[in-house]
Amino acid sequence: MPTLLELQRAVYRGLVAAEEGFCAAHVVADRIVGEARLNVYRNTLIGNLTTALRLVYPAIHRLVGGPFFESAARLFIEAEPPQSAWLEEYGAGFPEFLAGFAPAASLPYLPGVTRLERAVNMALHAVDAAPLDLSRLAAVNAADQGHIVFVPHPSVGLLAADYPVDAIWRAVLSQDDAAMTAIDLAAGPVWLMVERNASGVEVLRLPEPEWRFMSELCASRSLQEAIDAAPEIDAASVLAGHLAAGRFIRFGLRSELIQVVN
Amino acid sequence: MEYRDRWRQEKEGPIPAKAGIGLRFPHHAAVLDTLPDIAWLEVHTENYMGGGQPIAYLEMIRAHYPISLHGVGLSLGSAEGLDVAHLERIGEVARRIEPALVSEHLSWSVVDGLYIADLLPLPMTEEALDIVCRHVDQTQAYLRRRILVENPSSYLRWRHSTIPEWKFLAAVASRTGCGILCDVNNIYVSAANHGWDSSAYLAGLLPAAIGEIHLAGHSVRELGGGRVLRIDDHGSRVIPAVWGLYAAALARFGAVPTLIEWDTDIPELRVLIGEASRAETLLGEVRQGFRDADAA
Repeated sequence: MPTLLELQRAVYRGLVAAEEGFCAAHVVADRIVGEARLNVYRNTLIGNLTTALRLVYPAIHRLVGGPFFESAARLFIEAEPPQSAWLEEYGAGFPEFLAGFAPAASLPYLPGVTRLERAVNMALHAVDAAPLDLSRLAAVNAADQGHIVFVPHPSVGLLAADYPVDAIWRAVLSQDDAAMTAIDLAAGPVWLMVERNASGVEVLRLPEPEWRFMSELCASRSLQEAIDAAPEIDAASVLAGHLAAGRFIRFGLRSELIQVVN
Repeated sequence: MEYRDRWRQEKEGPIPAKAGIGLRFPHHAAVLDTLPDIAWLEVHTENYMGGGQPIAYLEMIRAHYPISLHGVGLSLGSAEGLDVAHLERIGEVARRIEPALVSEHLSWSVVDGLYIADLLPLPMTEEALDIVCRHVDQTQAYLRRRILVENPSSYLRWRHSTIPEWKFLAAVASRTGCGILCDVNNIYVSAANHGWDSSAYLAGLLPAAIGEIHLAGHSVRELGGGRVLRIDDHGSRVIPAVWGLYAAALARFGAVPTLIEWDTDIPELRVLIGEASRAETLLGEVRQGFRDADAA
């Protein structure tokens, strides 16, 4: 008789890793054999996870079509099953999976669109957080300002892509064939910022130096380090724009970093 | 007397002993716009984790209706212990929504930190009973409230099971103080799939432990040779035989908050409301019966 843990591991191998016969030996087989009974669960879990991936990656689903998406999802589920029951989190590795998936190689922009959809989904479901208190920021000594380290709003995401993936994503989701045809794949890279505000999730295209500046701030670099990384921009006005839009929720000084993280 | 006391208690309880419906995303706007005459609503807890629009909608809806949080992912039957991060996410939704009921399933979905996205059946053994009871205790202690545990529908039984499911469920309730969410459709589906006696199932549950009833539709999958499995897909109306079992459940348990669930091919809101009003009619008859008994 298997322990509960032994049985649960056997079920995992039988259902997700698709090793037939592995746990069927433990199933009561009367008129219906164990594999047929296990198949009900196998179909449900593959269906549930495929749906979860389709909800996170709707543009990819449209771009490659249902059957392609389902077969890719089936392989991905086996390779990277979810690690929690909060399925909004599921599929973080799907962009990398598609990037290395030979049948998808004919659409070079696919991994970039996948990463954008991932960032949009993260923005949709990120926890709520109030923007930082600007009066506290104003109280920082001028000499300390360069040491400020910001904590971005959990919904803020930054990504760069070699193709105009934001335009592709919009055209696909709105089923706008004219816009899709007008896309110039050779137009060069894009630098994107994704965020959630009161009206929903927005995908914004930034000039590359501004994107570099924001990337530094979001990576817990100090304000001075971010300014040094993007000397060509008017950092004060760009930062003011981010603060006004509520893209940072907390800050600390480099010497207080541990408190910021907590 | 026991039944009448129960009825009085529930009449004053946080969820009335009336019919509610399972709220899904496609009906968020319609519910807020029309505020239909429904006694209460139930949602899947996992759909409201994190921030943004879903939980904001639920908070607005919560201002008008009592809410029951029904989880599908806690995996009370995992041998290795509960996913504490998931329990904390449930706690966060509960903190914001202040639900009238919180429920989970008598099943498992997680092993070695991996989530198998379905409600998998447990072996009905003393070992599994100890584990489920420990996790119900842990959940109730963390959430600081009583939870309800629901009987799942199942398509297989394990060879080494030794305890009938209804006795297992009753033991979880008596040992942990949790309530039972009695899914009448699931009893019907499992009884058909395993050759159980659904009346014996109902008779094995103590009325005092029943905190809620679920009703839903299911489908029938032909496997050839006259063999069928009934599949709990929540994609159609409640079938007549399940309405019959529901009437038997009400006769045994008294009037209990009753939910209509519908998860695939979700119809217009009015269809759900129609199913709920059918349950409400049966609930009304039971309440009237107890009033008559009170007056006698």
